[in-house]
Amino acid sequence: MVSEIRWFNPNLTAIPMRSPMIDEADVYEVLHQVEDPELGCNIVDLGLVYGVIISGDQVKVQMTLTTPGCPMHETLIRGVQTALLNLEAVGQVEVELVWDPPWHSSMMTDYGRARVGAI
Amino acid sequence: MDQSQRPNVPAGQQGTARTRSVASTKAAAPMVHAPSTDVPLRFAVTGMAALVLGVCWLALRPDILATYHYNQYVVAVTHLFTLGFVCSVIMGAMYQLVPVALETSLYSERLARWQFGFHVIGLAGMVWKFWVWDMTQVGHFATVFACGVGMFVYNVGRTIRRAPRFDLIALGLTSALGWLSLTVIAGLYLAAAKCWNFSPFGAMAQMHAHAHVGVIGFFVMMIVTVSYKLVPMFALSDVQNQRRARASIWLLNAGLAALATAILLQSPWKLGASWVVILGLVLYVLELRAIFTARKRRAVDWGLRYFFTAVAFLVPECVLAVVLCWPGLPATLVTTQLETVYGLLAILGVVGLSILGFSYKILPFLVWYRVYGDEVGKHKVPSLAQMYSARLQAVIYWLWLPGLAAVSISTALGSEAAVRASVGLLIAGLVLHMINAGMILSHLWSPRFDGSTQT
Repeated sequence: MVSEIRWFNPNLTAIPMRSPMIDEADVYEVLHQVEDPELGCNIVDLGLVYGVIISGDQVKVQMTLTTPGCPMHETLIRGVQTALLNLEAVGQVEVELVWDPPWHSSMMTDYGRARVGAI
Repeated sequence: MDQSQRPNVPAGQQGTARTRSVASTKAAAPMVHAPSTDVPLRFAVTGMAALVLGVCWLALRPDILATYHYNQYVVAVTHLFTLGFVCSVIMGAMYQLVPVALETSLYSERLARWQFGFHVIGLAGMVWKFWVWDMTQVGHFATVFACGVGMFVYNVGRTIRRAPRFDLIALGLTSALGWLSLTVIAGLYLAAAKCWNFSPFGAMAQMHAHAHVGVIGFFVMMIVTVSYKLVPMFALSDVQNQRRARASIWLLNAGLAALATAILLQSPWKLGASWVVILGLVLYVLELRAIFTARKRRAVDWGLRYFFTAVAFLVPECVLAVVLCWPGLPATLVTTQLETVYGLLAILGVVGLSILGFSYKILPFLVWYRVYGDEVGKHKVPSLAQMYSARLQAVIYWLWLPGLAAVSISTALGSEAAVRASVGLLIAGLVLHMINAGMILSHLWSPRFDGSTQT
């Protein structure tokens, strides 16, 4: 069965899901859609995503936040879950929030640093 | 199992010393711990309405600032600003921010909704009855307001107790709640003393002690505490010296306890106590500077500029404090007008400008959270900065800053015409602020999504 997901990002063409296998690149592509509204940048380029573990139809995302007690805490976790569950092959998403190692601005990509205006 | 490791995290450091894991399937909705934005938004809108009403009132009755401050009109308008504007915004923001800052959940949203009713009825009644100087009715409405404050203190206090650790923020919040309780008790005592004339303390001394406990103990303490959380968050920095930060809060607590007592007893130790408060504020400013210097985000948005300018207002405020509590200072026309300037700069300068600055963080967040919180991952949603005009923020800043300076000078000179003219600058700034607030609030009924939705 071939299903197709069309994302809102105009720069991102449709992602065809030709098999129930979850592609790690697709996961990261989807995570690029989750933005921190205060910093105006997606969580991948902010360096908040520490790792992704794919097992069958399950995806586990290990991530952090820029600071403990971030008001966007619930929203970002929910956003990650919602975004990944929209991938047809994904059946379950687990988000593990970790504080060690603590986030640092050096974890941002060049794009992220430019978006945030990091020093 | 296929595992992908991000290059920015050293292998073996996928630490989980403090972790939280949330699982969700297509059938189950994820857990939500953050409180509803409904009550905080009501408080925020009430606060803005009180600010507009208060500033317009000053334009209509400039004598409130241009004449001696111990009269019913000054007391009424002061309570409109302090309870209506400042308390409303702070209380609303606390219901949203305290749970997330302390990584826990609000003790009771229902209690918060009840408090809002008590808050608005008590506030409106107090301002009205102060204006007509009916102290019996002031006492009744103050009791209603106090019931609301009791609910707030209990609710936030229980929330703090749920926090996994008693950190710097919890210390500051607990201190602020303690001072708020004392302010309200002192206010009720003042009203009762006016009705039954039983107090051994001087009327002015009681009023000044009540005002200092409220402004320094609740407002300034809350600003100090919240900024230790929010400034690092927005500037991508950290508190640089926990001991210094804690010392600033303890010195504020100790200094204010001594100051309020000295004011009440009309003691010359007032000056010494003031220096302790000032020392606490100096440590706070030093820590704030260290946080700012260590920031990772180069850009300083207008919200933060408002806030740092408000902190700068502490300088003239502290100078005035030292001058006004100098032992043996005669009560002349100039010194009594300077007392009004002192109060004005505290409420509209230090506290008001801080709140205006943080309101550009809090209000967009509340609206964004309500409208777009569930849409992340489904649609492209706007960032907080896209919800209002930064250009308008700049214009407001440059209207308020000279406006506040002009109002202060006019007040010191006791000129009604000059006060009215300079309040015009504040009103112009407020009109623009309302436009910005309207742009933010418009997202409530007209959400803006960019691009198409996922199908």
